[in-house]
Amino acid sequence: MGLFLKDINLKGKTALITGATKGLGRGAAIALAQAGANVIAIGRNQNELNTLEKIIKKLKVKYESINCDVNDYYKIKTYISNLRNLDILVNNAGTNIPEPFLNVKNSSLETILNVNTKAVFNVAQLCANQMIKLKKKGGSIINISSIFGLVAGQNRTVYSMTKFGVEGLTKGMSIDLAKYNIRVNSVCPNIVLTPRTKKYFSNKKYNKYVKENTPLNKVVTVSDVATSIAFLASEAASMITGTSIIIDGGWTAR
Amino acid sequence: MLKKINLKNKIALVTGAGKGIGKACAIALAEAGAKVIIISRTQNDLNKVSKIIKKTKGSSRSFVCDVTDDKAFKVILNKIKKLDILVNNAGNNRPEHFTKVKKEDMEYMTDLNMKAVFHIAQLCSKKMVNFKNRKLIGGSIIHMSSQLGKVGCEGRNVYNMNKFGVEGLARGMACELAKYNIRVNTVCPTFVETPMVKEFFKNKNFKRKMLKNIPLGRVAEESDVATAVAFLASDSSAMITGTSFVVDGGWTAQ
Repeated sequence: MGLFLKDINLKGKTALITGATKGLGRGAAIALAQAGANVIAIGRNQNELNTLEKIIKKLKVKYESINCDVNDYYKIKTYISNLRNLDILVNNAGTNIPEPFLNVKNSSLETILNVNTKAVFNVAQLCANQMIKLKKKGGSIINISSIFGLVAGQNRTVYSMTKFGVEGLTKGMSIDLAKYNIRVNSVCPNIVLTPRTKKYFSNKKYNKYVKENTPLNKVVTVSDVATSIAFLASEAASMITGTSIIIDGGWTAR
Repeated sequence: MLKKINLKNKIALVTGAGKGIGKACAIALAEAGAKVIIISRTQNDLNKVSKIIKKTKGSSRSFVCDVTDDKAFKVILNKIKKLDILVNNAGNNRPEHFTKVKKEDMEYMTDLNMKAVFHIAQLCSKKMVNFKNRKLIGGSIIHMSSQLGKVGCEGRNVYNMNKFGVEGLARGMACELAKYNIRVNTVCPTFVETPMVKEFFKNKNFKRKMLKNIPLGRVAEESDVATAVAFLASDSSAMITGTSFVVDGGWTAQ
């Protein structure tokens, strides 16, 4: 720490990341570890959890993982309520099934709501309670939202409904948890190139749509988002709560 | 994955750099490696800031200038080879109940908080666009806004008008300057104990009332704001443009 410049430094902190095996979750896990945090990874694919272990351990921080679906409330609860250390939550696991509003299937609606809203709430509540129980000096929760938590997009009614919800949850949580010095924020990325969105980008029209709507005319990288997550997780952001960092190359400025 | 805040080889200009938040920003940017050009009306203040920057092994040049004098500011810009970062910070506040605001106070504040902010931004943008390698090495403009650029507050109607305006300006500029690889954002702090705010806080009743509005229960420190500015100035935020970093301990989340 300098006179007025605070470092993004997470030494000695423990961070739990959901959806940690792919895309933004994986990037967040690596970035937080690079900043010095110990990592607890939650994911559904054992092979990918093992691969992540190798990367994280190279960074000389502790790693543990649990192979679990975030929808499995009781399994997650047992795990989280037994944690001995927890300072940071990256509430990342999420999904999307793009469909035009008139054709949204009931099964899609339920899948998206279960992961993006209910599991996000449950994991946040369990982690906040555990942080308070551990009597830490403070904590930081980062909910992964989206530009579609701020504006609408084609075939994204359910996704927008859930991500606007995450924005509301973030603000509500920040008020209730402020007295425990637990900060709660969201990050709102543009469409990032990840394994999940790869199939969208392979569609030329979609590719064009994204670039045309991004004034900086570039696709957001996982590293762009992971860096903002690490910033919010750290003391560099110690007065930032109840807000969103928007990483969208200007999409929502228009 | 993690992009650390690094401003080596960047040249930054900070207005209102003699005191408070501007001073903190100038020092933080220098600590992150930038060469800093500091502007203030008071030579004595500039000398003090230069001294601190020198002590932290940073580099700075200082110019005495009133930012409402755009001709004088132009002369300064002509003495600078290149510009990568602008912290458009100079501003002031004369709180008064709406019905009692004096015409000259409204005009003074608007000339400083809007007209000068616009002129300085325009002049610096031209300088930044002119740099040959701008496509490779991006520029970043950070306007000092306020939480009162997001929500209203008693006795702050002119300041509200000015800072909401700055929020609009930032978004417009972001859209237009994206093609030159120049990003434009604002920082919206809550009350920071600067010389300006210390005056307001002499009224204990006011201080108590204001603190009640900050869920985290404390005012922001100059370093909280300066760190957010350094983050936005650096490539850590390479895809962040047309947005606000709200550093308000939860004030506007409610």
